[in-house]
Amino acid sequence: MDSIELKNRVKKVTAEVLELEESDIQDGANFASDLGASSLQSIRLVAGFEEEFDIEMDEDKALQIQTVSDAVTFINSYLK
Amino acid sequence: MIHRLLTNEEINVLLLQGCTAEKWTDITVKEGFSTDGIMKTRFDGKIRLGIFSGSIETEKAVSKKSGIYNSTVTNCDIGDEVFISEVRNLSNYVIEDRVVIENVGTLAVYGESAFGNGTEIEVLNEGGGRELPIFDRLTSQIAYLTVLYRHDPEFTQKMLGLIRNYCDSRKSHRGIIQSGVIIRDSLIIRNVNVGRYARITGACLLEEGTIQSCREAPAIVGEGVIGKKFIILSGSKVDGAAMLDKSFVGQGVKMGKQFSAENSLFFANCEAFHGEACSLFAGPYTVTHHKSTLMIASLFSFFNAGSGTNQSNHMYKLGPVHQGILERGSKTGSFAYLLLPSYVGAYTVVMGKHYANFNTKDFPFSYISEEKGRSELVPAMNIFTVGTRRDSEKWPTRDRRTDPEKLDLIHFDLFNPYIVGRIVNGINILNELSEKTDKKQDRVNYNGISIHRLLFKTSRKYYELGLKTYIGQEVVKRIGGAGINATLQELRNKLKTEGNEGNGKWLEICGMFAPAQKIDELIRSVKSGKIRTIDELNERLVSVFNNYERYAWVWCSELISSQTGTRTEEISAERLAQIIIDWKSSAIKLNNMILKDAEKEFDTGSKLGFGIDGDEATRDSDFQSVRGVYNDNKFVLGLQKESHEIEVKADRLITLLEALASLK
Repeated sequence: MDSIELKNRVKKVTAEVLELEESDIQDGANFASDLGASSLQSIRLVAGFEEEFDIEMDEDKALQIQTVSDAVTFINSYLK
Repeated sequence: MIHRLLTNEEINVLLLQGCTAEKWTDITVKEGFSTDGIMKTRFDGKIRLGIFSGSIETEKAVSKKSGIYNSTVTNCDIGDEVFISEVRNLSNYVIEDRVVIENVGTLAVYGESAFGNGTEIEVLNEGGGRELPIFDRLTSQIAYLTVLYRHDPEFTQKMLGLIRNYCDSRKSHRGIIQSGVIIRDSLIIRNVNVGRYARITGACLLEEGTIQSCREAPAIVGEGVIGKKFIILSGSKVDGAAMLDKSFVGQGVKMGKQFSAENSLFFANCEAFHGEACSLFAGPYTVTHHKSTLMIASLFSFFNAGSGTNQSNHMYKLGPVHQGILERGSKTGSFAYLLLPSYVGAYTVVMGKHYANFNTKDFPFSYISEEKGRSELVPAMNIFTVGTRRDSEKWPTRDRRTDPEKLDLIHFDLFNPYIVGRIVNGINILNELSEKTDKKQDRVNYNGISIHRLLFKTSRKYYELGLKTYIGQEVVKRIGGAGINATLQELRNKLKTEGNEGNGKWLEICGMFAPAQKIDELIRSVKSGKIRTIDELNERLVSVFNNYERYAWVWCSELISSQTGTRTEEISAERLAQIIIDWKSSAIKLNNMILKDAEKEFDTGSKLGFGIDGDEATRDSDFQSVRGVYNDNKFVLGLQKESHEIEVKADRLITLLEALASLK
């Protein structure tokens, strides 16, 4: 999967969970401060990424993801 | 103790000092009595007087000569070195030594009284059916078993019988004010027994009650309090115009700021201010501090009520008959609302308004929120929040009970057979839901609450972290101290269980974790008449309480057997090593997640409103001086230290176990 596709799929999950338009999600957007993700939604984001990419993310490290680009990098490390 | 009649000379002195008596020959005095300290007092009925030769501290740094001044005393036994002054009506009391009663309207017993003991309160179900007679030896365990086990009418009747017998023993036509008590500036105290060293100051009306107290844990009743049919136990403070009607206040409770309670129970270390309680069963550490908070018809414990928390027990059908159960460690956000009946599992945070009746008992450590009017459950999310860990650490350190006899039996372990049993149920349910639910489905409804499908796997993983942490910590408790040359057999010996009591289902009996089997035995003993008194019942409960560690290890050992297929006393070094590896990884992960949660308290979002008139540097500087920095935070440092210790301990054990495994 190339990095553009990966980023687009991260944005798709983010848009679904946070009920936003994909086009409103910037690459460097912070899930909490820019996109308004609550703690509860953060958990759902982790679950959403796991399902979308069929991966199992490390529980504590997953919670350290702050931005969309962090998520892309982090998920990419599982796909390699 | 020898008492004698007054001499004529003494009567003449008393008359000169403005005293009168209905019949001087009804007054007897203790050897050594002197008339010095008796002025302008009227005596009616049978009176016994002690010795008033010294002085007594009536308040801090104020000493007065003991005696009876400007008062009316009827049918009283008065001990030595008391100070009674300006009491308009003191009737039918035994006043023990060194008591101060000053500026009081009425302190009297009228007719026979059990002093609040035996008052039936309609707790939990406002419509009745769970009535409990309150009494001054009531514990959260006795209340729980009597109120909630109505499915067993024979047991309930026996329990009520034990309580009735006890309450009958408290009946008397005379009250008692025990030694060291101070009662001052109060209006009416009617049919109230007051225990040693209690202080009553400025109370408006106290009627039909008992205030238990002791030197180590004096009870305090303060300004403006109105109490009718009540029990207050040692170490508690009820003041600030609190209103108690048919209510029980256990040990170490704080209540005030106009809080009102009726038909309610408050057990050890509860705090209740400003708000209102109706038919409330407040188990240990239930806390409500805010105005417009109503706690009604529910069982709580280790609970914190957000402001404006409210529940409805009335659906305008058959009356206010609904009840709520909020298990230990639950809390509500501001203006959280629950429509009863509802059952909230342990350590769960409830936010928002909920009009569905749900049951989340098999999902401890969850978040319940409101999304577009729907009640949503996020299972296991509260297992890694800083609040849960902080609460579980603070409760044991905030036990205010200083009475040598602590009535409520309280276990504090965060992970224990009861809660971990629920976690196991939660994992099984999530697995089942995961298998059954189509991927196209967004969410499922389970026991009245909605769960997002995506969370099945994630929540299960969080629960598994808790499960592995629990198993590991229980094993490490036993083999953690093993020397580096320990043999496998030595380790197995340390993991041996004593008997099989503890297997199977566990219960939480309002503060105390216990195997269901032990509670069943207790119930049988009550029903058969083997337990005949409240004291015997308490003794049995204490015995179950004291054996908790032994029973809990039996349960944990069984859990390990079911997961590994091997009994702990026969476990291999490899399996044991895997338990320790899992423990290290899970416990440190959980701690890291909690630390991540704590970090949020120091991020930019938390700095809103800081540095009010300045720039970012001002904001950061203001925040730092008020809240400090993450890296210096005591809780954070404590958790980091704990993780390091887990790592060291685990690595040592893993090395030992791997060496033992290689010996084969």
